[in-house]
Amino acid sequence: MIFRFILRRLAVFVLQLSGITAAVFVVIRLLPADPVAQLVGLNASRDAYEASKHALGLDRPMWAQFVSFVGLDKAHDGLLEGNLGTSWVTSQPVRREIFESLPVTLEIVTYALLLAFLVALPLGLASARKPGGLADRGTLLWGLFAGAQPDYWWGLLFVFVFFFLLNIAPPPMGRFDPLMTAPPAITGFITIDCLLAGDLGAFWIALQYIALPVLTLAFVVSGAIIKMVRTNTLRALQSDYMLYARASGLPERMVARYALRAALTPAVTLVGIFYGVLLSSAVTVEVVFSLNGIGQYAIRSVLAFDYPAIQGTVLVVAIVSLLVYLLLDIVHAYLDPRIRT
Amino acid sequence: MNAVLPPDGLARADAVIAVEGLRVSFPKPEGGALVAVRDVSLSIAPGEFVGLMGEPGCGKSTVAIAMMGLVRPPGRIEAGQVRFDGRDLLTLPEAERARLRGRQIGLIVQNPRTALHPLINVGTQIANVYRAHNDCTRRAAWARAIEMLEMVGINDPARRARAFPHELSTGMTQRVLIAMALSSTPRLLIADEPTSGLDVTIQTGFLDQMWQAARSSGSAVLLVTQNLGIVANYCDRVLIMREGTVVEQAPVRRFFEAPQHAYSQRILALQREEAGADHAARSEEIDDKAPLIEVEALTKHFRLRNGDVVHAADDVSFTLRPGECMGLVGESGSGKTTTGRCLLRLETPTAGTLRYRGMPLSELSDAQFRPNRANLQIVFQDPLDSMNPRWSVAEVIEEMLSLHTDLRVEARRHRIDELLTLVGLSPELRDRHPTELSGGRQQRVAIARAIATNPDFIVLDEPTSALTPETTAEIITLLMDLSRRLGVAYLFISHDLTTVKYICHRIAVMYLGQIVEIGTKEQVFGTPAHPYTQALIGAHLFPDLATRRVDRPPRPMLEGEIPSPINLPDGCYLASRCPQKTGRCATERQELVPLADGRQVRCWRAAAGELTPLEERSHTS
Amino acid sequence: MTLAGDTTTPEEMDQRVDPAVLHAGDVPGDVARNARRGGMLLYLGIFIIALSMLLAAFGPELAPYDPTAASSDISMAPPALADMPHLLFDSITGRLHAPFHWMGTDQSGLDVFSRIITAPRTDMTIALSAAVLSCIIGTLLGLLAGYERNVATESLMRVSDVLQAFPVFITAMMLVALAGRSSFNIVIALVLVYTPIFVRLTRAEVMGQVPRTYVEAARAAGNRPIAIACRHVLPNSLVPSIVQSSATVGFAIILTAGLSFVGAGVRPPTPEWGLMISQGAPQLILGQWWCSVFPGLAMSIVVFGYAVVGHSFEARFR
Repeated sequence: MIFRFILRRLAVFVLQLSGITAAVFVVIRLLPADPVAQLVGLNASRDAYEASKHALGLDRPMWAQFVSFVGLDKAHDGLLEGNLGTSWVTSQPVRREIFESLPVTLEIVTYALLLAFLVALPLGLASARKPGGLADRGTLLWGLFAGAQPDYWWGLLFVFVFFFLLNIAPPPMGRFDPLMTAPPAITGFITIDCLLAGDLGAFWIALQYIALPVLTLAFVVSGAIIKMVRTNTLRALQSDYMLYARASGLPERMVARYALRAALTPAVTLVGIFYGVLLSSAVTVEVVFSLNGIGQYAIRSVLAFDYPAIQGTVLVVAIVSLLVYLLLDIVHAYLDPRIRT
Repeated sequence: MNAVLPPDGLARADAVIAVEGLRVSFPKPEGGALVAVRDVSLSIAPGEFVGLMGEPGCGKSTVAIAMMGLVRPPGRIEAGQVRFDGRDLLTLPEAERARLRGRQIGLIVQNPRTALHPLINVGTQIANVYRAHNDCTRRAAWARAIEMLEMVGINDPARRARAFPHELSTGMTQRVLIAMALSSTPRLLIADEPTSGLDVTIQTGFLDQMWQAARSSGSAVLLVTQNLGIVANYCDRVLIMREGTVVEQAPVRRFFEAPQHAYSQRILALQREEAGADHAARSEEIDDKAPLIEVEALTKHFRLRNGDVVHAADDVSFTLRPGECMGLVGESGSGKTTTGRCLLRLETPTAGTLRYRGMPLSELSDAQFRPNRANLQIVFQDPLDSMNPRWSVAEVIEEMLSLHTDLRVEARRHRIDELLTLVGLSPELRDRHPTELSGGRQQRVAIARAIATNPDFIVLDEPTSALTPETTAEIITLLMDLSRRLGVAYLFISHDLTTVKYICHRIAVMYLGQIVEIGTKEQVFGTPAHPYTQALIGAHLFPDLATRRVDRPPRPMLEGEIPSPINLPDGCYLASRCPQKTGRCATERQELVPLADGRQVRCWRAAAGELTPLEERSHTS
Repeated sequence: MTLAGDTTTPEEMDQRVDPAVLHAGDVPGDVARNARRGGMLLYLGIFIIALSMLLAAFGPELAPYDPTAASSDISMAPPALADMPHLLFDSITGRLHAPFHWMGTDQSGLDVFSRIITAPRTDMTIALSAAVLSCIIGTLLGLLAGYERNVATESLMRVSDVLQAFPVFITAMMLVALAGRSSFNIVIALVLVYTPIFVRLTRAEVMGQVPRTYVEAARAAGNRPIAIACRHVLPNSLVPSIVQSSATVGFAIILTAGLSFVGAGVRPPTPEWGLMISQGAPQLILGQWWCSVFPGLAMSIVVFGYAVVGHSFEARFR
């Protein structure tokens, strides 16, 4: 029963979320860093230090802080009300800052995954149809090679080649031309916003700016996707039911559909894993291209010991990953009835 | 009803299919190719039932599917002709071949679950096949699919059609596949080990059904099998393959009476031995010594995650004397394997007592039980899987010695050599890995391990089920030899009545966790008392042409399938299927009752002498 | 984060694959390929690994210049590649006054080549320690969780799940920055991030071995449960861990360098590949490529070596 599966999966999701919330909160406070000193400076007086500590709420016991954070005490708005706290550095609500930077990252990650699949799918299928052939050996080497690369370095290489040497890419200064006005941010995804504003010229510019970061991320994950497509297709092609389908006289068209269905269904959950990997890779790639996504936000928060921002970032990124896993698990259960039990 | 056959069936003008010079190869990892099938030629007459026998890896499955122009990737059909309907299949375009398949040539594979696409429901798959051969709408095809399911005896076909392959039992799935294969009355049906893994009664029912359907539609059948019993009871002709070539082709009668090739003779060794010599175990050989093992009211319940209770073994009682070999037979769910494991504390019994040489073992803790393992040993069904994949032959055996004896290194070496020789292996094999040995040799190593500490009692859990007929004969002979020499008692758990009949003195028949009949071999095989025993022996395919199944009138089989061991009825467990049941059977719990000739039966009607006996057979001598 | 060819995922491993379906690596095409290319590629990988460890041990001694002291008045000198042949000749015949800058200098005048071969001492030490530690801890915990299925081990798995849900890079960054940016803390952070993977891998493998007949046979022979776990189950469950540890060394190098790249890792002026890349990044955009390209190249070659060795091991033992 797929309904029961969804319920169970949702319960797991909620549990994982609670676990992460508690974990990130506790772990941060257990580490020896002193955010107060960071903020007031090393030469501050004792009083200034204590005042600052009190203002940040760090003088209260940990459980009290956690309760406020979650939103269970009446004095503060917490997670349950959707409040992620206020940044200690900018004094802006963390939620707003995250929602401004998150779509940037999600945009390049999603495009990168799409691009990688577009390229990897036919390559993987080709290499599976003739194991041991040229396409196959090529993809093995490519998989080993591409999977061992530092994404930030390749980002820089692409900048050097396409921007400096060939002059076809824009400088790595964010995701839009700094001299032009960007379209109003409705979704936060700049390409979609351009389309929504009906501005095709801006759309083209945005594409140019995000082309290299997307290319870098796609490159990183392409090898693994090819290998996965190849393995799954080979398994499907060599299985008994393919032989039997032919033996029953099914036309080649239907046999191919059987194969594709069997090959791609197990791949669904793997897409989630790739998504998580790309989210992680995106952090450094954002630095290279100055994209101001959630990766750079995280870096800034961490280096400044900005606890609310750190907590918020970790939580939100984890939620995104977990949501993606959840959705993909459900799709997988829909496609593969064996999972539902 | 039999087709008229020429002396050797070759090169008939009206043969349904004629294969010539077939050659199939598979690429090897190191480069080059492994020739799986070399220069095989055969032909099949219309309506003929031909058996293709050989051990795993001999190429018989490859030949079978190559006859349809198919080969498992990455193999290739390199050469040969397959003449069907006047044309060479192998040179036809693929689209033409696809038209022939399913329609003119049907296929039934070994593992029905893996033959069906795991992600598409059963009804759709049947409908797809139907639409491939008949022009009709999707709705019509779906209706036809439901019809077919009903035809093969599946209840609630409309709902089952939406089920997925993993939700059906193996037996049901196999029947679906037959329905699919025979629905278009093909001229040739290729069945590749269609019954391996099925229970005895189900297997025979299936083969009967297949035989009937083939006869009525005039289809010829090529049956690939390893089972001599199937060949003897159903086939008109048999081909023996070895290492890619056909080594013997003969009508079945001649094959059994006078096998020509040395390999055929080895396969038939056990049957021929029995016919000639008098080596089979005899019940009089066992002295009336004090019992070695006493089992009383052994019960084992498994609790599942959802709270259901599986009654694996229920009130099992028997005794075993030193040197005796007792057979424990039954189908899946009978509890025979569970019983064996409980005896050795590999499972903890829920209730019951176990005594070894009078000592109660059931009250011992696991740690206290451990020293007894030197005397109570086991040989498993899958010899390779029962040995640590990283260990050599010597290490496998040595473990027993280091755990239970004080022997030093030199003495252990000596003992290992001694044991290897005892089981018929050369001591030079000591440093080899089991993966390098054949199945028969692996089992010999496992036996050497079992006798390493001179046990009194060994549980043999289907020791020959995973072996070829040739090797089975060797291992059974070895086991009997060892029993005589070392005085070991055996509990021989098996579903293969042929070997049980050979090696055992006494037999206990189990059904759904209970012993339903227990007596000497002569009693149980000669005059089975319990209806289940009768059905089991009636369904078993003995490789004996004198009792060839298709030549005799059909006998009443048990209805339906083996019920689940979770919700057992109050009365006799067999009541739902027994052809001789009465009202009282369904409500009264049956107990083991002794009969006049010393055996025990769990059936009040049998005890009262009310049952019609099975025809006298000429099995026991 | 990168994937050095490893795509078996936690979820995939928890779902036991239908035995009738082939495993990757059992596919005949795989075996064919691996055997033919295996030889040459494997030797290349081993050579690279050996070189990296050699440099980790002796790098600083072999460096022609002090990696932390400005050795040239010329800052941002381009590499002497064009003059390579005759310079090589000169240096052999001893006619050069001072070793030349194979790979140029950076904006502080530090010799790039010296810094590149000194960096392994930092990068490799951290990566190898992290990989070995997380492998050992993860494997032992995985063995425990797979062999004994009780409340304690199931809770362990839930904790491991939670740890794995954390975004890898951000978590590592957080741990290092907040605990203090030292090599030791980087190792700890990496161990925390990588151990759950080993736990899952080993547990899945152990759960696959426990129902096998030889484990039951070991019990029937009279072994104690601990003996069964250590003598039988563990040695047969190690292959995935060993393969993964090779890949993990690679990931760890990239992650360490990545942390330094964003400023949350090793502190300058320690020679470290990631730091070098980030310091050279502003110059690269303007065309002075050698400060960033060479360290990245070195890193990618080393990680490739580890990936190849892991892959060959997997192909051989599957």
